Amino acid sequence: MAAKKLRRARLSEELCERLSRYQITTCQDFLCLSLLELMKVTGQSYYDVQKLLCKVSRACAPKMQTAYEMKLRKSVNPSSAFLSTTLHSLDKVLHGGVPCGSLTEITSPPGCGKTQFCIMVSVLATLPVSMGGLDGAVIYIDTESAFSAERLIEIAGSRFPTYFDSDEKLFCMTSSVHLYRELTCGAVLNRIMSLEEEIISKKVKLIIIDSVASVVRKEFDTKLQGNLAERSNFLARGASVLKYLAEEFSIPVILTNQITTSLSNGLAIQADLVSPADDLSLSEGASGSGKRESGYVTAALGNTWSHSVNTRLILQYHDLLTREDTGLISGYETTSESPSGTS
Amino acid sequence: MVLTFVEIGISKEEALEALQVVRQECHGDATRTAGGSGATRKCTALELLEEEQAQGFIITFCSALDNILGGGVQLTKITEICGAPGVGKTQLCMQLAVDVQIPECFGGVAGEAVFIDTEGSFMVDRVVEIATACVRHCQLIAEAHQEEDNLKALETFSLESILSHIYYFRCRDYVELLAQVYLLPDFLSEHSKVRLVVVDGIAFPFRHDFEDLSLRTRLLNGLAQQLIIIANDHKSAVVLTNQMTTRIGQSQSTLVPALGESWGHAATVRLIFHWDNSQRLATLYKSPSQKESTIPYHITSHGFRDVQPPAVTQNAEDTEMNPRKRPRREEEK
Repeated sequence: MAAKKLRRARLSEELCERLSRYQITTCQDFLCLSLLELMKVTGQSYYDVQKLLCKVSRACAPKMQTAYEMKLRKSVNPSSAFLSTTLHSLDKVLHGGVPCGSLTEITSPPGCGKTQFCIMVSVLATLPVSMGGLDGAVIYIDTESAFSAERLIEIAGSRFPTYFDSDEKLFCMTSSVHLYRELTCGAVLNRIMSLEEEIISKKVKLIIIDSVASVVRKEFDTKLQGNLAERSNFLARGASVLKYLAEEFSIPVILTNQITTSLSNGLAIQADLVSPADDLSLSEGASGSGKRESGYVTAALGNTWSHSVNTRLILQYHDLLTREDTGLISGYETTSESPSGTS
Repeated sequence: MVLTFVEIGISKEEALEALQVVRQECHGDATRTAGGSGATRKCTALELLEEEQAQGFIITFCSALDNILGGGVQLTKITEICGAPGVGKTQLCMQLAVDVQIPECFGGVAGEAVFIDTEGSFMVDRVVEIATACVRHCQLIAEAHQEEDNLKALETFSLESILSHIYYFRCRDYVELLAQVYLLPDFLSEHSKVRLVVVDGIAFPFRHDFEDLSLRTRLLNGLAQQLIIIANDHKSAVVLTNQMTTRIGQSQSTLVPALGESWGHAATVRLIFHWDNSQRLATLYKSPSQKESTIPYHITSHGFRDVQPPAVTQNAEDTEMNPRKRPRREEEK
């Protein structure tokens, strides 16, 4: 929308000519100028410039919908609003499953099962709608080379033995999971930017990025000057493109993150810095009071990233055998927990 | 100007008269070519006092929060809500979008809402939950008091009508946001019942892709100015949500509201939402009329609420301040 040419905003030819002499060709350039600059550049009066602003704005502005129309649209197609994870308590907390049209982040200590969860959800997405799936292809961007096709087949075969009863069905499923191995931040961003065409041509219904944290933390060392800002920039750009894709095509986007320990250098940290559900050391009973000297454990990638995702799920070790899911930052209620085992 | 007249030997009052006559002539020309509102915004403090007392507030259903705000979210002012992710900013915005529509006989302002979303966190199903709880609440009051206008108002205050009067715009980048705010005055003139404009996520579109920070500051200031004008001209409350960012200090890092120091001047009222162990707290950080204080709040399946049922009270101060408003009803849980 921002890069829309002024000509398409129905400004007159001569005005477009005149503006292009000042290197103003897109709506973005036009709207970023102040009124005085616009008057100088277009040579028109204050009130005429205001009318021009409205014209250009109308070309860029989003369409209005009432909340009622949104609800009607959702109720017409209820199955397409969520991707059920087939874990009943998790689905209940999420009000149906992984929501379509928004970003869901899964974060946990290493070895908890993020990649396994992603592989399982890939299988679910390829199932037909009658079985709770999305009947579409999956784009899996793998930055850790942790994806295992054999495991994919194993999960499919043991979870849905009646559906995947023939080799043919299994191959059909595996051919609709498109794997991309990207090993640098730049490559990941380029891949995300080029996804739009893939989604349309391959009829993709799920995007997974496993994991965002590993590739970002390899390249950005936040102790160095300027790296924090650059990292936030990169993450925010990636997040906004992913949000656009998720909303435009109404598909779920799943991202995985890691856990990090924030050290405080011996000073007391304000307890209100981090949401208590984000602070895993609280639930592990490490320290009850607000003052912690050794630091606290939290999801990686910082504050900006935490603002960018719509739903965040945290997996933890409950005891040696079961893992626990603490869902939080969802659009609905506060934190709640549901146990999950591995199969 | 008066001094030059005095040089030619007439008194200051005569000079003033002559100036005013001349001004009239020029002003007449200007008003003919002007098409805009040009409403003079000057009045005496007394007139302003009367206006303020008659002003409506949009209640939040958390009476502790309403109290520290002096009645609720105030019309004609910009209120900014800052907080860490997941603390409840969007929840409050959705609550307000429903509460602004409460009919006058129940203590509301009977307005409509514009919701500008830049982050994509608006969940229709959640609004349905909040609205249903709100309608139920009003129904309980109507049953308890059994008054004519209460029952009549309930006929039009339903889930469908609430949802139909929330006007939603999804802005994906800062250019769409700028464009939408330029078009907002026209939209509000067509929809004159709007009493609330929410911009959920004023920070998100401005926090990346901006190498030129001075451009960002200028655009944000421009936005703030336009929103102040909109709040005043259309007697609406403007509510903005902001993110928190880490400021790396010498020995420690702190969380501060995003968008820089100069943005802090844009809002009239600033609320900061934060955590204390597992309790959510709201702090009134900046307000021209209320003192700084902190209260706890809760987010339930019904929406934004108090932590425990507040003391049953007929708030005498309230009825004195706002003689036109019905006494505030009790919170029922």
